[in-house]
Amino acid sequence: MPFIQNTDADRAEMLKAIGVGSIEDLFKDIPANLRLKMSDASMLKLPKGKGELEVTRHIHELLAKTKNAGDYAYFRGGGIYNHFVSTLIDHIALYDGSFITAYTPYQPECSQGTLTFIYEFQSSITALTGLEVANASMYDGASALAEAMMMGKHVSEDRHRKENRNTFVLAGAVNPEYLQVCKTYADVAGLKVVQVATGADGRVDGQALAKALTRKVFAVAVQSPNYLGVIEDVEAVVAAAKENEILVVQAVGEALSLALLQTPAEAGVDVCVGEGQSLGNHQFLGGPAFGFFASKKDWLRKMPGRIVSETKDKDGRRAFALALATREQHIRREKATSNICTNQSLCALRALIHIAAWGKQGFVELAEHTVAKTQYAISKLTSVPGVKLAHTGAPVFNEFVIQAVPGLEKKLLKKKVAGGLPLDKYGKGRRGQYLVAITEVTTKADIDRYAEALTEAMKGKPVAV
Amino acid sequence: MTTALANPAEAILFEVSKPGRRCLRLPELDVPKVDIKAALKGAKLRAKPAPLPEVGELDLVRHFKNLAQKNFSVDRNFYPLGSCTMKYNPKINVTLLSLPGFTKAHPHLPEADLQGHIELMVTLEKWLSEISGLPAVTLQPAAGAQGEMTGLMVIKAYFESKGEGKTRTKVIIPDSAHGTNPATAALAGFTPLTLKSTADGSVDLAALKAMIGPDTAAMMITNPSTLGILEPNMVEIAKLLHTAGAQLYMDGANMNAIQGMVRPGDYGVDVMHFNLHKTYSVPHGAGGPGAGPIAVASHLEPYLPTPRPVRNADGTYSLDSKRPDSIGKVRSFFGNYGALVMAYIYMAQLGREGVRRNGENAVLNANYLRAKLRGVYHIQNDKACAHEVVFTDKTQNAEHHISALDIAKRMIDYGIHPMTIYFPQPNVVGGQGAMMVEPTETESKETLDYFVVVMKKIASECKDNPEIVKTAPHTTPVSRVDEKTATTNPQLYCPMCIA
Repeated sequence: MPFIQNTDADRAEMLKAIGVGSIEDLFKDIPANLRLKMSDASMLKLPKGKGELEVTRHIHELLAKTKNAGDYAYFRGGGIYNHFVSTLIDHIALYDGSFITAYTPYQPECSQGTLTFIYEFQSSITALTGLEVANASMYDGASALAEAMMMGKHVSEDRHRKENRNTFVLAGAVNPEYLQVCKTYADVAGLKVVQVATGADGRVDGQALAKALTRKVFAVAVQSPNYLGVIEDVEAVVAAAKENEILVVQAVGEALSLALLQTPAEAGVDVCVGEGQSLGNHQFLGGPAFGFFASKKDWLRKMPGRIVSETKDKDGRRAFALALATREQHIRREKATSNICTNQSLCALRALIHIAAWGKQGFVELAEHTVAKTQYAISKLTSVPGVKLAHTGAPVFNEFVIQAVPGLEKKLLKKKVAGGLPLDKYGKGRRGQYLVAITEVTTKADIDRYAEALTEAMKGKPVAV
Repeated sequence: MTTALANPAEAILFEVSKPGRRCLRLPELDVPKVDIKAALKGAKLRAKPAPLPEVGELDLVRHFKNLAQKNFSVDRNFYPLGSCTMKYNPKINVTLLSLPGFTKAHPHLPEADLQGHIELMVTLEKWLSEISGLPAVTLQPAAGAQGEMTGLMVIKAYFESKGEGKTRTKVIIPDSAHGTNPATAALAGFTPLTLKSTADGSVDLAALKAMIGPDTAAMMITNPSTLGILEPNMVEIAKLLHTAGAQLYMDGANMNAIQGMVRPGDYGVDVMHFNLHKTYSVPHGAGGPGAGPIAVASHLEPYLPTPRPVRNADGTYSLDSKRPDSIGKVRSFFGNYGALVMAYIYMAQLGREGVRRNGENAVLNANYLRAKLRGVYHIQNDKACAHEVVFTDKTQNAEHHISALDIAKRMIDYGIHPMTIYFPQPNVVGGQGAMMVEPTETESKETLDYFVVVMKKIASECKDNPEIVKTAPHTTPVSRVDEKTATTNPQLYCPMCIA
């Protein structure tokens, strides 16, 4: 029988040892009338079990009804990116059972493998962000931002005891998925989420932001590069938040940008969160990947999530262990900093292998490569008649928004081009705009094909204004 | 760099790093080279490259393979960690998950390209609905704790729609509950009330009755309880809550025991969550990712997160976001879809008979251990247990001053991962250190017999050679770890990662 090793003879022997006549005797605390009868097919309407061959065939049939990024010249991002994933990662993290079939490292003596890689992961996030404390990872970028919001509230409760600050400000173009998750968390916590508009250059409108950052605000978050691909002036946000002692959070949608851009620590933010998918994690329709969470050490004891520390064993050898569990739900219960009980260890491991496999130099080259391709794509696509950049005057990293006309998507898909993500649904001002994403996987040929198909699709269309 | 640690196998990645080494290289740039500073004009750049490790491929592989050897895992060790359901994770899960149809499935592909994925989600929802006896399911929560939160948010939205949002502020939680329950209730804006359990670990109906009032929003109950006991009064508990206009939430962490035997909806449960990483073989991944879908009664369905995968009348599939009463999103996109795929593959193999068989064998295995170790270790509630059995250190502590922790650490020397010892809390196991053992259905009788032999051996060591137990483990890469210093003086990163 699949996955069960007890034979009928084993079962008989075990029942005898227990001293009951049948397995069902062990379920007597369930009222008899509620116990499902296997003889009655209307109870528990599940299909008959399939063997490995049948299941494999079935999965291939399901996948035949799908297309993926590999089927197109692919230009969609918006939080999940079509990166190359080294085979090294799957060999270590997926096919070797040593990490994937282990549990949370509560017993450090037989979990040094996990604890060491988490410590190395934390160190890598520190290297990328410059912030001294990073946790062992969160569910995703969106919930990491929501957790940063909750942390901001807790910090403010300590710092501004009598003020009861209740507003969380999102400065400019934050990923709508992040915004929605923050709103869901804020609703039940009784917090207010306010989004400040972007200016013409795609960056947050500085004047509107300054106005919004009152003493009612406990934290402000800015995404950079933001959802429109534009690199924000994070330092300016930090400066604007200073007067009213507002916690500043930077969200990062494309972690590769950290290779080149001013670090969150250099910009002076308190907390940096982000989506880690682009670091060695497959797309999987958006998950699982992981969120990273790093902070200035001032807020260590308010931080959510698991944390690993170096320590020693009783013989003085270096060892690693979970630390600061007193913040967590299994000790603090309703007073915990968060209800989170898991992290996304395996996805964090993937990120670590990715970072190490590219290495210090390779990681920078990867980012530079992306910048070069992005610049080429901008020049190529904006040379199509009727197409221009939606935002000018501020730099972009791997994504940018073009202004064309609505309704191009299907025509491009027919030409095997998954062009930029249509932004029409994000408001009137976004009509005919497309968010274009570039990765190292994108080739010159892909970009040329996109430009060609776009030229074709734009023929006879009124020129965008 | 590293002088203190000569063996590279003992070094961390940052210490084996050497400038110029690497594993991966890029293809030649096929577009014009750009000046980075000019291309990013207006952006502030980092002062120095991130101080990431530089390693060659062999050193990288060897590093992680060495780490792998320092881990216990289900693939190599019996792992009877109570409440965690460390069952075997079939290899086909990861093989099929590695198909490009999954790995390159981008969430912003048009709906027409996602038909097979949406179909998979709709089918998985249907299966979980059938097992729970509740009509609607969302797969979006990324973990059990997020499932709990989603469930309470849904309950809150329901009461708000009835104009009772302001008055129903309390959530009743038994003292035996997992710590996530009260933490979640607080996070969701409720006040948790602790309900004391009876001596045998079940719900005290009289105390519950006294606690329920017009301000009760819900009760969160774990069934089977965290003491591994089936709650005998589920139907009465549901009735008490419903009569008072409140909701019953069931924490499905222990669903492995009762799947296919009873549908929680038939008890009167209004919301429950599944832990697909426990019950349906999604690997635990050294702490995650998991997936924590919730199933709800029909009156709560309008409040589930969006988008909802749906099957249309013409047989096509869509993602429905037009749901005005929805609580919104709790996780970006569709949750941990990769985890959902693994659960789907597993459940397709189990089928109807397999689901039932898993529950039956999980309970049989746990009761077998209870019978075989009775008299060796104290059992607080020595009656038929569900999928796990809770022993305590009462005897060993009283006679030899040896704690559950010491016994757990000694198990490691015999190649068995320790059982759960930090939970349940001593106040619900008669003041003793708990030792919660969950063998799962996938272990053979021979493995269980070996476990019994080991546990008896350790019990006799407690008498004859207590030092060997108190100083265990002796066979691991590190001896007992100083966890206190990890907290009092945390060192959270390698000094080399700060440039």
